[in-house]
This record gives sequence, C-alpha cells and structure tokens, in this order.
Amino acid sequence: MKSAWLLLSIFFSFWFMAADPVKPTPGVNAAPAYRVESIPMPDNLVSETGAIEFLPNGELVAGFSRGEIMIYNPQKKQWRVFAHGLHDPLGILVVSNSEILVMQRPELTRVKDTDGDGQADLYETLTDDFGISGNFHEFNYGPVKDKQGNLFIALNTGSPNGGVRPEVRGKLDSTTLGKYGRQMFSVVPYRGWVMQLTPTGKLLPYASGFRSPNGLVLDGENNLLVTDNQGDWVGTSPLYEVQAGKFYGHPAGLVWEQGSKKQNPFEIPVAELNKKRAQAAVLFPHNIIANSITQPVFDNTNGKFGPFGGQLLVGEMNQERIVRVMLERVNGTLQGACTPFLDGQGLRKGNNRLAFAPDGSLWVGQSDHGWAGDEGIQRIVFAGQLPLDILNMQLTPTGFALTFTQPIEVTAASKPENYKFKEYYYAYHAKYGSDQFNAQKVAVTDVQVSADRKKVFLTLAALKPGYVYELQLGNISGTDGNILKDKIICYTLNQLKN
Amino acid sequence: MPENNLLLFRVLKYYQWIYVWLVLLLALPVHAHPVADSVTTVHIKAIAGLQYNVVRFQVKPNARVKLILTNTDDMSHNLVITRPGARDAVVNAALKLGEQGLKLNFIPPSPQVLWSIPVLEPDETKSITFTTPKTTGVYPYVCTYPGHGVIMYGAMYVGEVALPLANDLNIPPARRTENIIAARGAANGNRHTAHPATTAKPAHPYELQAPFLYRVFMPDASPAAIAVSLPQELSYCWDAGTCRLRYAWQGGFLDNSDSWKGKGDSYGIIIGQVFYRDKTPYPLRLNQPENIPSVAFKGYQLRERYPEFKYNLNGITVYELIKPKADGAGLIRTFRIPDNSQKVWFVTDSVDGVQYEATAGKWIGGKLKLTARQARHFSITMTRKEGVKL
Repeated sequence: MKSAWLLLSIFFSFWFMAADPVKPTPGVNAAPAYRVESIPMPDNLVSETGAIEFLPNGELVAGFSRGEIMIYNPQKKQWRVFAHGLHDPLGILVVSNSEILVMQRPELTRVKDTDGDGQADLYETLTDDFGISGNFHEFNYGPVKDKQGNLFIALNTGSPNGGVRPEVRGKLDSTTLGKYGRQMFSVVPYRGWVMQLTPTGKLLPYASGFRSPNGLVLDGENNLLVTDNQGDWVGTSPLYEVQAGKFYGHPAGLVWEQGSKKQNPFEIPVAELNKKRAQAAVLFPHNIIANSITQPVFDNTNGKFGPFGGQLLVGEMNQERIVRVMLERVNGTLQGACTPFLDGQGLRKGNNRLAFAPDGSLWVGQSDHGWAGDEGIQRIVFAGQLPLDILNMQLTPTGFALTFTQPIEVTAASKPENYKFKEYYYAYHAKYGSDQFNAQKVAVTDVQVSADRKKVFLTLAALKPGYVYELQLGNISGTDGNILKDKIICYTLNQLKN
Repeated sequence: MPENNLLLFRVLKYYQWIYVWLVLLLALPVHAHPVADSVTTVHIKAIAGLQYNVVRFQVKPNARVKLILTNTDDMSHNLVITRPGARDAVVNAALKLGEQGLKLNFIPPSPQVLWSIPVLEPDETKSITFTTPKTTGVYPYVCTYPGHGVIMYGAMYVGEVALPLANDLNIPPARRTENIIAARGAANGNRHTAHPATTAKPAHPYELQAPFLYRVFMPDASPAAIAVSLPQELSYCWDAGTCRLRYAWQGGFLDNSDSWKGKGDSYGIIIGQVFYRDKTPYPLRLNQPENIPSVAFKGYQLRERYPEFKYNLNGITVYELIKPKADGAGLIRTFRIPDNSQKVWFVTDSVDGVQYEATAGKWIGGKLKLTARQARHFSITMTRKEGVKL
C-alpha cells in the first residue's frame, strides 16, 4: 500500500513537472532544504556590498561602496551608522563590538569607537605601505588573520581600461604598461601580490601572480586560500592554495620580485612562466560553474547550515548562485570539485561577500559596482530538510567516488550513461580567458553502488593530470523519491592517486 | 616622460568620453545619420560598466541600417536585437544554453531574435546590415553574455519618437537619470554645472553635517586623498599619501557622482573656488629649514567630528587639526608635536593664496621659526587673499 502511494506521488510529481517545466521540481519531500530571505536595507543606501562580518554580539557589520560602515541588528531589524567616509571598503576583520579593521583603497585601517557613543571616532592606519596609481581597478582585499597573528591582504592589478594618475603613491615603474595592450598591469608596488602584515606591523610581499584576487580565507590548518578572476593569463577563475614566495600566473606583479634580474615580466617566455607558476587547487569552469568568483568561506557551523560542514562556499557575481567546493589533498597537493549551490531558490546575482551568522545562517552581500550583479544582502537558512545532493567527489586510483547526502535509487545510479564525463584543460596565455582545449568525452567503464546506497564508485577509461573532469549526472533520485537537482560537478585533477 | 603623457591622455580621454555620451543621450538621434547610399549607419561601443555607449537610437521603418559594434571594454560582449518586448525572454533563453552557450555566442536559436552580432573580444569590431521592420515599435538590443543582459541593453526606436530620457523604461535605469551629488546636506544641494541633474537623491542613509570627510580620488593630490567639508562653506584636501594639506576651497564641496559609478578612472569634482594651494616641497621642517622630512601617515581621530591627522616626520609624531576661521575667510591649523625636542620651521610660499599668522614663533622671510618648546603646540591662521588666481 505504501509503495502504491509512493508510485502515485512520483506520478504526480512528474505530472507537475510536465505542467510547469520552469519551476524547480520537488520530489516527495517538497519542502526546500534552504530558504533565502532578503534583508531590508536602509533608505538612500546604495547597497553595493563590499564587506560583511558578524560582531561578537551577533550584529552584522557591513561596508558599502560609498564608504559607509553600517551595523544591522537582526533581532530588531534595524540599521545604524558605525563609520563613514571610507574609500571603497572591500574587507572587514572584526576585533570587538566596537572595533574593526577595514581594507579600503588607500590603506588597512583600524576603525574604532573609543568613546562608546556607537560611532567610530578613531581611524588608525595599520599599513599603507603599498602603492596606488589611482587606476580604478586597484581594489584591495582581505584582511584575514592566521594563527600567528599575521594579516593577509591582496592587491589587485591595474586595468588598461583606466590610466595612471600623474601623481601616484609608491615607486612608479611603467614596465608593464602601455605597449602590452590590454593586459592588467602593476605600476606601483606590489600590485598583483598577496601581502603579509606581521604582528609587528611590517608589510611584506608574500606571493605574486594575482590578477583580481577578490577572496581570501584561511582553513582550519592555517593554509591560505585565495580566489582569482578569469581574464588575461587566467583561463578560468581559480582557487589557489597560496604559499610564501610562490607565483600564481599573472606576470605583471613580477616586476616587483626581489632580486630578479630586471626583465620585463611580459617578455618572459610563456613556457618559463608556466614552469614557474603554481597550479590552481580548483578551477571553476567559465560559464558552467562561475564567471566571476568572489569570497570563499568555510562552513564551520557544525551542521547548523546543513550537511556540507567543512566545505568551502564561494560567491559568484554573474549567476544567481553560490559555488560549493569539496577539497582533498592528494600527494600533498590540494585539489577538488566544485558544483552549483542554491540555483533557482531566490538568491540574487552579485554574490560578493559571504559570512556565517552565529545561528548558522549564511549571509550574502551583493554588489553590481560596475560589473554584472545585484545589490543588497540576503540570508540563507538551512530549513532542516536534508537535500539530495552530492556530498563529496573524491579521486580514486581508477576514477571518482561520489558520496550523496542520502541513499539513492540503485537502478538509475548503476547505469554508466547517467554519468557523462568530459575532460579538458584551460590554456595559460596572455589572451583574455581561454577556450576548453582537448575537450573530449571520457567513458565510464564501471559503476559500483555501495551497500548503504550513498556512495557510487565510477571507473573511467583514462585519467590525466592537468585536466578538469566535468561530470554531468543523469536522472538520479533518492530512495525517498527526491530528485537530484544540481547535476553538474567539475573536478580539477592535479595529482593522480596511486 | 612620453609614457606619462600618454597616461594623462588616457585619463582625459575618459573624461571626454563621459561628456560625449552625455551629449549623445541628450541630443538624439545623433548617431543615426543617413548617408548617400541610403544606409543609416549606427556605431555602438560596448564600454566599461556593462553598458553600450548608445542606449537608444531612432530609425525609419523599412530602412537599411548598418550597425557597427566595437568592444572597448575588457570583457567579451555581443549584441542581439529582439522583437518588441522580448528582451528578458531572450536573455533568459541565452542563460539556459548552458554549455552550448559559448559555441552559439550566447545567441539563443529563437524566433524572438531578429539580428545579432556575435561575441566580440576586447578591441574587436563587427557589423551587420539589415532592413528595419515595417512595423514601428521599440526593438530592444541587449548583450546576452551571461550576467550582462540585466543591465547592458538599449532600444532601437523604429519610426517612434523616443520618450524623454528620464521616463524611458527601454533603457537601463542608471542611464535615465544622471547624477547624485555629495552635497553638504539636503538643504543646499550644490550642483555641478557639467552634470544636468534631474534628480538629487540623498547620497547616504544619513544626513551629513559639516564637518565630515570622504576618502576619495581628488585632483592635484596623491591617490590617498581626504576631502574634508567644514562649516562656513569651506573645504580642504588633505593628502594622506604625502601627509600635508594640499589645497582649500570655498563655495561648495564635492561632486562624487563620477567616482561612485564604479568603472573607469574618475575624481571627485571640486565645487567652488580654490583659494589656497601648498606650493612648497613640504611645509614642516625639523631642525634646519632646508631639511625635507620623510613622512608616514598614521590615521586620524575625530574631535567633535573634525579629523585630527596623525603622522610622523622623521619618526616624530605630529598631530594636525584644521578648523574654519570664525569669519569664514580661511583656515586655522593647529599642530601638536608632543615629543618634540628640535627647532621646527613652517615654510610658506608667497603665491599660495593666503596670508599667515601664528600663535608662536618668529617669521623670517616667509618661514616661521619655532623653538622646540613652542613647536609642541602652535596654530597657524591662513586668511585668503582676494583676487588670487590659483
């Protein structure tokens, strides 16, 4: 009798699908796993969100493009001003309820309310020991703090769509400018670098080769992860594990490399640059997973945000989604998979900044400041209903192991044709973006479903390091009738597993 | 420095470009001019900020039109002309192309698409020639590259007279009204004449009463400038990059509307008359009047909302607080150097637009000499001279 009801329900859910193919198709458990709420924004605020973080008292502190730092009380649903007059604040690190560090155009600033009236009165420069040419694209990102108390910030390169001011701050070096066409440049120190501010206040160049690194995060083991944006020298948006002294691909900033013989970075042979550069841990295939990747945050909510604890969630500007990243270390190298998260559930575009609230909800600050996007702040709440999704994708010596959040229906899950793999790589070149090269289908030669029906082992005809493995899943459903909605997942294979 | 000239030219070019499109918007149809062979040529550029430089143009029904698209942005763009009212549908259809998108130039195979120019890389130009429909109406054009379509579009008016710009729902909202002014307060919204503002919305969720400040790109200063609005219609630019007062002006404050747009280089535009400009290599000297100190900016503390700047000269901490002169005719600069143990010189230039008075020290030919003790706390009043052109 029970199964008859189930069949009937499935029948009706298909009927529902046929009637309205545009709507997301719920299975038996129609309640969505996540709920997206929009936060009311104050009147007359242009809500181009540059930074969001939570204070120890549970209030949200947010920075906006016209220099406002506002505080939101989620209980009272009220906004108040904390500070104003900052220059494009793009990052906040909370110190206490009355003190934050703000990354703005000219400097990293301690912004503090010293007299207890609720508004900041002290703006103390922590570091301005880096150049600014006045080019509109020289954004600054961060800071994040490691366990030793070092702060890390990232300095965007300059854009050929803008110029350089007659008066700059820092030493001007025009080597990477002008005749190199439309490439992003670094004409003042240390544009295109991740910088380390030591606990004693010294700003040191840490790693080079960044183009537009709009996202920094430290993992639980003190490893620094940084995202970058597709463009010249960046075939598709990457996530890097950043280590001291390494080079991550965009040559412009090499002009400031210590001790290097004075060679124009844009005249170094590509093969030489390619040898020097560190590989991305994860590549986000352009137009498929993301177009413009932003801030990564780890889900450290101990289940309050659902089943994806420990995973990385990354903002995306051009599409109405967050990107979910599953990382693993193979032979010491970080690599992993990325998949869409929250498509079609009311999230807007322009997802520039992410922060987890103390209650485990994920807050997303949106911006469209000159680029595709949206404005405002939204909050994503795990509604308690377990979604059917890929919990993890891991490399095996012969293919991949997929873990699902729930047991899956075995018949469909056992069919190789429900796992369409494609492999390709992105070129490393000065040109803006990259096509997919050597793109071809990869046959799945064997499928094994685990006894608990939560894991599928896929054997592939071949595996090649340096390639992205894009997996398009077929109609996989849970044993309870739930249908898998996010059916695309891309694994960046740097290292093979033995 | 030929390269520097080139750069300056770029900045200027950007400004010229703003005015060019303002003119274009206000005087339509400028771009659609019939030529001898009776083909109307329309040249559209994809520009920074996910926009076309031309957001609307007018053509006759059943006319030959050559549409040229040049991509001057650093991202890829296409241009798709749709049937009336089909813009959103085509944008959504393009998004649904998924992996096929790139191959199809994000142009969905749809009867709603009339004509299109494929995805252009930066600096590429392509054109199409077509005969406009016999049916008059508003035919949208849009970039269907993922994420762009929501704001990057315009309208081809076939035979129809365009609405006033401000009411034209067929063009992006940001292009309907012009500028928002960072004025002193709602009461006296200063408008810069170059920007014919149609609406002056409050710029922030709070009202600003002088004194207040913006860190913003300012002309004639390093890129780490601070613009401060004072009572008495006085304003000044203090440069955190070089740790000194650069210039002061009176009349209005600042038009930030260009700098707030997001893409492209831009400056805050000064409203009013500059009456002081520092022309010395650096005004404060330690020990000897010819010693130019090395500087480091340390921040500022608000004192009754006036910023008191803190900076180091050769490692010695200096505080500087600037207030308006009671009669509004200049500025009073109060310096504190609490740990000072050297002679201090304050050096002026005779053509900087102001005359000086000091609460301590001795003037020697335009240079104020202060003993170590006097320099721990002193004020300098700068009163504007009439009729000085700076």
